[in-house]
Amino acid sequence: MMTTDKAEDKAEQELRLRRVRAAMAEQGLDALLAFAPAWRRENVRYFTDAPAAGSATFALVPAAGPANGPVTAFSTRAADLHGILRRGWAGEALALDAHAPAALTGRLRDLRPARLGIAHYELLPQLLASELSTALPKTEIVSATKLMDDIRLVKSDWEINRMRQAAAAVEAGWQAFVDVLKPGLPEYAIVAAVEAAIKKLGAEDNFMLIASGGDEVRGMTAPAPRVLQAGDMVRTELTPQVNGYWLQICRSATVGKASDAQHKSFELFNEAVNAGMSAVRPGVTAHDVAKAQNDVFRARGYGEYCTSQYTRVRGHGHGLHLDETPIIEGNETVLPENAVFIIHPNTYTPIAGYHVLGDPVRVTPGGAEVLIGTERKLFEGAI
Amino acid sequence: MKRGLVVLDPEEIPETERRDRVAALQRAMSADGLDVALIYGDVSRSDDIAYLTNLCIYWNEGILAVPAEGEPVFLTKLSPRVHPWMRLVSTVTEIHSGRNFGDLAAKFLGPGDGPGKDAPGTTVGLVDAGLWPAALAEEIRRALPGWDVRDTGDLGRSPRLVPSQHERALLRRAGGLLARTTDDAAVDGMTGSERIAAAERGLRDAGFLDVLARTHDAPGGVTWLEVTGQYRNLWLHASRLADATATAAWPAALRRALATVTAAARSGMTAQRLAEAAAADITGLPLGAAAGVRWVHQADMATNGEYARYPADLPIPEGAVVVLAVEAVFPDGRHAAVADTVAVGATGAESLTSQETTR
Repeated sequence: MMTTDKAEDKAEQELRLRRVRAAMAEQGLDALLAFAPAWRRENVRYFTDAPAAGSATFALVPAAGPANGPVTAFSTRAADLHGILRRGWAGEALALDAHAPAALTGRLRDLRPARLGIAHYELLPQLLASELSTALPKTEIVSATKLMDDIRLVKSDWEINRMRQAAAAVEAGWQAFVDVLKPGLPEYAIVAAVEAAIKKLGAEDNFMLIASGGDEVRGMTAPAPRVLQAGDMVRTELTPQVNGYWLQICRSATVGKASDAQHKSFELFNEAVNAGMSAVRPGVTAHDVAKAQNDVFRARGYGEYCTSQYTRVRGHGHGLHLDETPIIEGNETVLPENAVFIIHPNTYTPIAGYHVLGDPVRVTPGGAEVLIGTERKLFEGAI
Repeated sequence: MKRGLVVLDPEEIPETERRDRVAALQRAMSADGLDVALIYGDVSRSDDIAYLTNLCIYWNEGILAVPAEGEPVFLTKLSPRVHPWMRLVSTVTEIHSGRNFGDLAAKFLGPGDGPGKDAPGTTVGLVDAGLWPAALAEEIRRALPGWDVRDTGDLGRSPRLVPSQHERALLRRAGGLLARTTDDAAVDGMTGSERIAAAERGLRDAGFLDVLARTHDAPGGVTWLEVTGQYRNLWLHASRLADATATAAWPAALRRALATVTAAARSGMTAQRLAEAAAADITGLPLGAAAGVRWVHQADMATNGEYARYPADLPIPEGAVVVLAVEAVFPDGRHAAVADTVAVGATGAESLTSQETTR
């Protein structure tokens, strides 16, 4: 499923380096080091466009200069290196010993940066941080996490194309979810069915939360041994990662025919999603999109269920990380054209318990473009 | 990711054993002069916390605060909405949510009802401090002025290196499941996506919490399938070679080498000695290729052993459950391996992830 147009790939790679190096110049960085612990690999992936399994991976980006040195990748998993080099975005890929990271510190010493930005500096383990500090005693080390977050916020056409490819896995995953529902099935077996469906389509990973039951359900978690019962509403957010890019769907389905209350709940949440969609335009803020959704709940007398007591966010950005800028009141982050995020007003109400509904969208000049084809309705599974 | 079954079952690990684990840590803390131990975990690496409490950090980060006396307390950035679930699937009863860990630690350890109420300014240990995010460790230090915040050793990892009898029973059960599923996913002719889908379906359906399955193209049209699974708080791994044609001799050589390594494995053996035992089997590799032998504690498989030290002369402890792997590196940089998870005794090893058992 990897994009094969080499000219477009090359253009994308060059675009990224131009954007990053321009931001580095603005912030006076002589080098940028992207760090990826196993659960936050988005910035290294941005520079390598290759999957990695290492517990610690890095991408070292020298500032623009006469040589415009190539990106060098590092991984604690030696088996990662061949795939990184084969992809061709990193000029070099080197094995890294977490306790003796001379491969990395040697390259940094060669660069002698006066000011080094580290993306995910906040997550860098002490054993690696101390090695860097020792190797670069005169270097000012600062966080470059926000620099990279800002750059990744706006997707290129190449990235949007990647995210459209992920939509097929999203749709298949949700279909598998609905198809498998039946009384007596444990929650974790639903996950197994979804995983098989999306992995068969080439998904690299998936983030998924789930909850089943009635009005008492207050939120979603990892699956439990609980078995489905007729009349349950089963909620999920499932988020396949395809070619590096995550895309999420939020839906709820009933086991058998939905009750009037479950339908009423769906109508409320669907109205909120539509309100969020209607607010989308280039330059809108995350606050505006969240407020549009929350206002629907407030107007119907359910405003208290938009608070942190019952819910977290009204959506969030997507891309090489699954949970980018939060769509929440008070977040004044501007969402320009080609920002991608999910609109999901997921929360508890007394109508039918926790309800999950949402679609990923792209900001276009004309408003929100929904990136998946799954119908937005209250799905009813067979009994 | 950790999206499989999360369950607390006292029939699997009795409550007394979990209490004993906390008590053992508290004795070690007392010996080190610690009043409180803080154990960090994130979604990719939280086994120390799960060992003590069965808590599953399915997203984000968390810190388990273990006082020298009393019950552990969990500090999390996740919302209080998930506290009921956390209490349902773990032994933790006290959970504090907040926006940053410094404030949470200060609140827990500061004046009030916490361990610092009578004697503020005592000693806190950051367990396996080298693996803590440096910024977070500094945040904790800043939040606890007057406290002696020390880096400690691997107080959380070391008790996990030799599984208990109950854990060994779980590992045996899970090993059989992983063996069958991996073998099914390694039959010739499947695509890489089909293999991974089969591994996910089989293991998630069997109640595995986490599944990390990958395929790699190896020389001669061979496919390396590696499957790592987490069952409860325990890890197993198997690697198989599929699509091996008669023209490629090296897959059979690696398999022979793994059989030899497994037969030779016993407590006290080192990776170096295991490699020497298997040297005669590793024949027929492509020109310029090399093969090696490694072992990793199952307890380190969340990170594939990459954050632990495994020198070639490190002996395997008696009673450990480890992954034995024979891995080849080819001139073009590609890798391929065969591997199984084995329980190691004084006189031999029991393979948990293959049909053949040696002892």
